[in-house]
Amino acid sequence: MLTLQPYLTLAAIVFGIGVMGIIINRKNIIILLMCTELLLLAVNFNFIAFSYFNQDITGQIFVFFILTVAAAEAAIGLAILVVLYRNKNSIDVQKLQTLRE
Amino acid sequence: MSFIEIIFYVFASILVLTSLGVILFKNPVYSAISLIVSFITSAALWLLLQAEFLAIVLILVYVGAVMVLFLFVVMMLNIDDVMRTSKFNKMAPFALFIGLIVVAELITLIWFRSDQFSMVPVSTGVLDSGVSNTVLLGTTLFTDYLYLFEIAGFILLLAIIVSISLTMRRREGLKRQIVSEQVNIDQTKRMKLVDLKNERN
Repeated sequence: MLTLQPYLTLAAIVFGIGVMGIIINRKNIIILLMCTELLLLAVNFNFIAFSYFNQDITGQIFVFFILTVAAAEAAIGLAILVVLYRNKNSIDVQKLQTLRE
Repeated sequence: MSFIEIIFYVFASILVLTSLGVILFKNPVYSAISLIVSFITSAALWLLLQAEFLAIVLILVYVGAVMVLFLFVVMMLNIDDVMRTSKFNKMAPFALFIGLIVVAELITLIWFRSDQFSMVPVSTGVLDSGVSNTVLLGTTLFTDYLYLFEIAGFILLLAIIVSISLTMRRREGLKRQIVSEQVNIDQTKRMKLVDLKNERN
């Protein structure tokens, strides 16, 4: 019988991989957005697991809203990315330092 | 080890491997495909947790729309600009350090401080009551969370407006239809009478 801990551990590992990806990646904003999706997936995993083990539908409602917001975030992020590429001809994270100068 | 556990551990290892693939592949197309596989794998794991509707929604919305959008954008950009030159940079040890700390803290909390949680499903639960998952989700969503549902719809509308207004551009020198001038035209502007000299030879 599977208990709650393996599910939470799996979500924690996926979350850690997402955090590592955000720090490791200094070259490409697309990978950055994908790592954000990984983080949200890990959070959703926790909600679903708690929803099942507490037998409460509210967790799944939350996942529903998180999916909505994540879809909106991905659409807006990619739109910003396209505009950025059009203006700078590059999506390198390290070249985005206009505000620093 | 029961059948459910075998399924869980197989899918969990696939999920971890493909998540590592997302951050380690050089080519962002491979990263996106790896992320697609991890979404499908976690949808399968959500089926084990009786979240059938959300598992299907994850595949339909995420794999069907969001990841296709990602791939579309990746392929629209120049591939030389988006390829990573080296697999590891100087931040890699630091990233590994931070990631291991995060995972270690979370796992410590989960395995040693989890007395409050029920470790096995509550016996008389709402998910086991025989009502289908979609009906249950819809009933709760449209009664208790109706306002939040409407706000979610508004957020989607906002995303549409923002992404269209960000990416729309007017190029110079484009011959496009100007409706106001077409409507306001009158007879005198349509036709111009020119007197020509008789050109009789």
